[in-house]
Amino acid sequence: MFVIIAGGGKVGGQLARDLMAERHEVVVMESNPGKARALQDEIGDAVVPHDASEGRWLIDAGIGRADLLIAVTGDDEDNIIICQLGEALSEGRARTITRINNPKNTDTFRTLGIEAIVNATDLVMTMIERDVSVAPVVHLMRLHSAGLELVEMTVAEGSAADGSTPEDLRLPEQGGRISVILRDGEAVLPSPTTRLHAGDSIVLVAQTEFEEALGRQFAAPTIV
Amino acid sequence: MYAIVIGCGRAGAEIATRMCEQGHSVVVIDRDRAAFHRLSDSFSGTTIVGHAIDEDCLISAGIERADAVIATTYGDNSNLIAVQLARKRFNVQRAIARVKDSVRASAFERLGFETIPSTTIVGDAFEQALGWEPHHPNGSPENGS
Repeated sequence: MFVIIAGGGKVGGQLARDLMAERHEVVVMESNPGKARALQDEIGDAVVPHDASEGRWLIDAGIGRADLLIAVTGDDEDNIIICQLGEALSEGRARTITRINNPKNTDTFRTLGIEAIVNATDLVMTMIERDVSVAPVVHLMRLHSAGLELVEMTVAEGSAADGSTPEDLRLPEQGGRISVILRDGEAVLPSPTTRLHAGDSIVLVAQTEFEEALGRQFAAPTIV
Repeated sequence: MYAIVIGCGRAGAEIATRMCEQGHSVVVIDRDRAAFHRLSDSFSGTTIVGHAIDEDCLISAGIERADAVIATTYGDNSNLIAVQLARKRFNVQRAIARVKDSVRASAFERLGFETIPSTTIVGDAFEQALGWEPHHPNGSPENGS
């Protein structure tokens, strides 16, 4: 895949390294000369030291053949226009992803038709939830309209789930269903009588309102 | 008409004053109060200190009943967002953005937004002054206007 990243700050630089490590072709556009040079020292020719919203440079960077354009500058207005310009110049070929710095701008992005949005604040919240939640719950996907969450949890030693089956845990009555168990690198499709063990990762579809209660079944017992 | 002029640089102050002289109601928005000094004595409209894409600011400027939004800030991107908000969120009939980057101007013209491609216009004016036929260099395709 050929990816253009607009913005070579911390986020853009890290994305570039990750994507290059996975053998994607990457170009990073960064208008700040100092940041651009620092990035050039590290990843070389893959840096275009110019503003991505400047049409000629976006064309120069190869927007015409890009599969993906990721706008992660520190300026929300620039990110919106870069995505729209990229879509226009690639005649709709390039998919675009953008980052919002100020959550207040989310509505503006949606009004202007920008759908794939990464809200930095949301990401931080997800990380915080992951760290402080009663169970080690990782939110994989939120299905708003259905009121469902797709979450990943690890069965803790001594938890209610450790050594139990989905039937024992009466999960369906509690608004949850285990989709898959990840055990020793293998995916196991569970039956109602499959026994869970500490260390299993499970992917659970949960009704949003029951998620917290379900999470407690997989968490280590708290000592009071 | 009732018009909102965003940005009170030389161009914004010029068009705002001209519109007042033509008898239109004008509100000028700029994030820097000092910018309003550029308005001439014949400017009879009102001024608001605020940001071009702040919806609360646009609403207090009366965008919901505006006939036109003229975006003239130094930032092409701010101008392009202001006209998109004006058209898509507030259904303003006419919304025009000053865009210095010729490529960006023509791309957004093709998407259906009105732009004043100022660099192209100045280039054309120079060529005409020299008695030449204006031509548009590579990378700045013909504007839709």
